[in-house]
Amino acid sequence: MASVRSIPTDVSTLCLLSFFPPSLAAEICQKFTDLNLGHSFIGTNVKVKLLLYTPENFTCGTLMSHANLTTQTRFNLSRPTIFIIHGYRPTGSPPAWVHLLTEVLLSRVDSNVIVVDWNYGAANLNYFKAVENTRKAAENLTGFIQMLKDSGVSLSSIHMIGISLGAHIAGFVGAKFNAAIGRITALDPAGPEFTGKPPEKRLDPSDAQFVDVLHTDIDALGFREPLGHIDFYANGGTDQPGCPKTIFSGISYLKCDHQRSVLLFSDSVNQKCPFRAFPCTSYKDFLDGSCLNCEQFGAAGCPLFGYDITEWKDVLLKLGQTKMYFTTNSQLPFCMTNYRVDVQIWNRDARWGYLTVKLHGNESEAVATIDHHASEFRSHRENMLFAQFDQHIENVKKVSVKFSTGNVFQPKRKLRVLQMRLTPLDHRERSQCRYDVVLEEDKEVTFRPIPCEEPKP
Amino acid sequence: MDTELTRSSVMESNGAAKEPARNGDRSANRDPAETDCDALLSVHVSNGNGDLAAEPYAPEQARNADRAANGDPGATAGDALLSVPVSCSSAVCRIKKELTEVVFWKVQLWKIIIFILLVMVAVIMISLALCTVIHKDVDDEFDSSLFKFPRYFNGSFQMPNMVPTEDLYNLSSNESQNLTADLQKKLSDVYSSSNALGRYFSRAEITAFRNGSDVTDYRLMFVLPEEEKESIGKFIVCREIVYNVLRQFLYDQEDDGLEYIDPRTLTMFLQDV
Repeated sequence: MASVRSIPTDVSTLCLLSFFPPSLAAEICQKFTDLNLGHSFIGTNVKVKLLLYTPENFTCGTLMSHANLTTQTRFNLSRPTIFIIHGYRPTGSPPAWVHLLTEVLLSRVDSNVIVVDWNYGAANLNYFKAVENTRKAAENLTGFIQMLKDSGVSLSSIHMIGISLGAHIAGFVGAKFNAAIGRITALDPAGPEFTGKPPEKRLDPSDAQFVDVLHTDIDALGFREPLGHIDFYANGGTDQPGCPKTIFSGISYLKCDHQRSVLLFSDSVNQKCPFRAFPCTSYKDFLDGSCLNCEQFGAAGCPLFGYDITEWKDVLLKLGQTKMYFTTNSQLPFCMTNYRVDVQIWNRDARWGYLTVKLHGNESEAVATIDHHASEFRSHRENMLFAQFDQHIENVKKVSVKFSTGNVFQPKRKLRVLQMRLTPLDHRERSQCRYDVVLEEDKEVTFRPIPCEEPKP
Repeated sequence: MDTELTRSSVMESNGAAKEPARNGDRSANRDPAETDCDALLSVHVSNGNGDLAAEPYAPEQARNADRAANGDPGATAGDALLSVPVSCSSAVCRIKKELTEVVFWKVQLWKIIIFILLVMVAVIMISLALCTVIHKDVDDEFDSSLFKFPRYFNGSFQMPNMVPTEDLYNLSSNESQNLTADLQKKLSDVYSSSNALGRYFSRAEITAFRNGSDVTDYRLMFVLPEEEKESIGKFIVCREIVYNVLRQFLYDQEDDGLEYIDPRTLTMFLQDV
């Protein structure tokens, strides 16, 4: 019985089987295909291997048969199924993130996680060949999902997570089932050879009931335009913080931004670190704080990037296509904490400059520098700024603010603040205020904020 | 004739080497020896066209002269190339020469130029520094004699640590007078030291200790400049700011003294004039 369940693929597995008692043989785990540059140089033909992981065992992958489901005792029909589809593998090595993503998904969702290993096909120095191979890989996967459907699996319980080229594979598969597939998550869908193509030749919102997309490298390997019902642009979708800025850093310069998409999505799955995102037309407007209004999303507020975006599914489907922006840290945990900062001043003349705000908690300190461009401060009006802090401070004890202009040869200016209001945007906490403060240029002023005066009912 | 010829040829070559001005003469009385010499030279020139090290022995003037005489078509191109290293007619060389010229009393031109540049930089730096020092912040300037338009705020607060006595409600009693003075000083200090409100603040009064409760009434007076009373009254000396400056002060105080004022009990209203 046990030996039927595990399907030996090569001689070494057969040898192992003969050494172990049958009960152990069942546990023989399939690994992701490991190829090398040689394979990639010669070119590989498509061979799809489906590895099943379940909450009972995060690390041991069982090879799935395309023929029937009856032999797959680990596969649970009543659980939702998540497919992870990788992208282009120029070196042929297994993706470093595949175990991380499988683990976070399985620890969160009681599901069947199937890693779609099409390394044979994706490993090719010729990118155009790999692009061609996405069609064959999609055909293969379509066949498997058809088999699942025939065995009684509901298509709406299927969630495909496609990375780079894998995102388009998910799109091709979804199109075959006429948008009956529950959800497609595209992590930095590939741009080269797909940009400018009609919807049937790439991922598009009609490929699944719900398509959510994350863009992290739109200026190189990723896709610039929106592809799903909701498109998140992390840090504007171009340069990710912490990624090398020059080619001298080697291969990581090429793939760091692109690969960040998987790390951000994994970070969203465990719910420890919420990424609050804001609907906006451009990254500049987002940074200016012009897009903080999320009334259209009702009581749920601004959507959270990542696994839990499905909570906003209904309203997003009504809205058609929505572009969302958020910022991240340069390392784990990636999520930032957003505040709205309102400043009223009484200077006669307008002041231009940057604000650095620090929130001091019991033991930790969060910093936000509002310096994407010099902000203008004028009297007789609210000057609204958007601040992203590197971490969330539960109980803000003190606040430090520094005003700087970047001018070297000019007399030191003063920003004469009548009222400063800090409003947390991600957490339902009260606004904190401080009144009558003079911020001398380049001098940090620390104060204890007081709860803002509540407007009279 | 033979000797005459050789002599003349020797003389000619000497002359050519020394005096290029005479080439006109030579072309006028051509002789075979000279033609040989010319041929040799012109061959050499055409070989070494542009190759400067090829003929360090041949005086340049002579070659130029001979080529000019022969109507050598490559002469002009050759001239430009050949003349660079030998003479000081190039731009770089000329500038160098001019820079090292003594203008007066052993001071060369380049030193004067550098000195002028340094003076310019110094003037710029000094003027920038002066600007910074002299700079007056317009927001620090005001003329309080123009502040005439009064503005009053009334309100109340409570002192939960204070045990009310009969004496307190009698405004002429010592206890009442002392407390009034203390509280008035406290309020005055808050507003006098305020950056935004200090210049407009006039005085603070305790108007009553309400009988039978711990509620204290106060009154604040500000004076605004006549011509700006609208905007200042709306944005700076407005209820929101005047109220919150005091509220913020009350939040900052320690919660132990007898005269502790509970910030949550603070009320304030703008008095209509």
